[in-house]
Amino acid sequence: MADITQQMPGRSPATAIDEAKRQKLLELVRGRALARPTDLAEDEVMVWPSLVVVEAVCATVFLLLLIAVSVLFSAPLTAQANPNQTPNPSKAPWYFLNLQELLLHMNAGVAGVIIPTLALGALAAIPYFDRSPLGVGILGTSAKGRKIAGFSAIFTTVVLIGMIVLDEASGRTQFGIGGFLRTQLGAPEFVWNQILPVGIIMATIAVLVVLVQVIFKPTRREMIIALFTAFVVTYIVLTISGTSFRGEGQDLVFPWQLPLEHH
Amino acid sequence: MAREQTLADKISSSSVWRSVVRHGYPDTQRNQALIIASNVFLHIHPVKIKRYATKVTYTFCLGGLSFFMFLVLTGTGVLLMFYYIPAADQAYQSMKDIESSVTFGQMMRNMHRWSAQGMVIAVFLHMCRVFYTGSYKPPREFNWVVGILLLVVTFLLSFTGYLLPWDQLALWAITVGTEIGGAAPFVGEQVNLVLRGDFEIGQSALIRFYTLHVLFLPLVAAFLMAVHFWRIRKDGGISGPL
Ligand code: HEM
Repeated sequence: MADITQQMPGRSPATAIDEAKRQKLLELVRGRALARPTDLAEDEVMVWPSLVVVEAVCATVFLLLLIAVSVLFSAPLTAQANPNQTPNPSKAPWYFLNLQELLLHMNAGVAGVIIPTLALGALAAIPYFDRSPLGVGILGTSAKGRKIAGFSAIFTTVVLIGMIVLDEASGRTQFGIGGFLRTQLGAPEFVWNQILPVGIIMATIAVLVVLVQVIFKPTRREMIIALFTAFVVTYIVLTISGTSFRGEGQDLVFPWQLPLEHH
Repeated sequence: MAREQTLADKISSSSVWRSVVRHGYPDTQRNQALIIASNVFLHIHPVKIKRYATKVTYTFCLGGLSFFMFLVLTGTGVLLMFYYIPAADQAYQSMKDIESSVTFGQMMRNMHRWSAQGMVIAVFLHMCRVFYTGSYKPPREFNWVVGILLLVVTFLLSFTGYLLPWDQLALWAITVGTEIGGAAPFVGEQVNLVLRGDFEIGQSALIRFYTLHVLFLPLVAAFLMAVHFWRIRKDGGISGPL
């Protein structure tokens, strides 16, 4: 049945009706187009039931879990708010504790506003830098992409923990460099508390980029995987540090040394 | 051979039933298409989709769960609003009352609290899923940006809700949080003043956070979600391997 038009007498292939119309006509002849308005292609399924069932099961399982958790654990309610009694340590909600952790190491405006704004801006800009459709729909794009993600995660975790401990050991003076600039050279606040920490962050990111470039020779997408992974891991490591390892005076402690209401 | 009409058949072919649901039981492809297309809530979906889009191990249900948690939060939130009093000298007591004298009050509060935490986590993980599957690439760039806005609104919803119990945890978390924002160069002090309505956290901050939390931000979130979901369809359904 492939070439009906070509076999029709008096019609050259050049004037034949186009392919789409021909298909429609064939459907009509076979009686399919009318009888089954939603004919499925090979790789398609009907949303009802195939997707609706998945959604219903997900929603039900989650709801049961939520009810179980809510029966077992109660939301915290501490003593009534008292503006005259500052708890030590005072902590922001957990998902902002990463910013509070950053705050310990540099100027508050830089840590609390400028860096998160830049991070959000960079996130939003990703699709405008990486436009190649390669790897869509595949977790981590490729085996190499997944390897790069793993490398970036390990690099970021190790470097961050190292930096937090080092800065703490130097009395939060930017590893002593900031302290030196301030006390020995009399540098102004914005040099040791703004430019220097931002410089250290940029340098760390640059090291990651160079390492990934040299080791993996990545595509643009793979380099962005390295950077995004570094962002996510930073968010998580700083959040854990701020939540579980910062005690009185925001000093570095072990989780079991925290005051009770912060466990 | 015609099978005997059951009670269910009689009900579902009655004129009352048919005035509500215009098609028959969705066991034929035609009715399965109609149920999606003619129901205002279901027609957020197309009638048919690619097979891979139904795989739980592709989306991990994270976008759907974020949305579902938003619905749970709206439901439990409305119930809490019946009892909660956004006044600095009564808020704490009304929380106590919800926990001790309102039927299922503690349960409502727990569900609200835990799904709020859950939503922050789910939205963040959803972003990671979208990233690692490369689902932000054209034509989905704009929906990724809408997603980032949703992430910010989710944080803000959670943050504004944090103050409402008016206990020590709430007061000082918001104090620290607004101080972080207040450190913004040039505009920080003004932003803080607008948020708190005062130099410290008191009645004006509470009513501002309350209004943002129960009205303004949920509306913004719903608006953005409408755009988000619409765009998923306009961008050709969820992404998949080429
Ligand atoms: C309240 C927050 C959000 C809700 C309720 C939500 C909901 C959804 C839902 C239901 C889907 C369908 C597929 C799936 O479940 O994965 C989806 C897809 C998508 N979301 Fe979200 N989302 C939210 C936040 C975000 C964020 C933070 C981002 C990214 C920054 C994002 C970017 C996307 C993109 C690009 C798609 C298309 C994915 C694809 O085609 O595979 N969304 N969203």
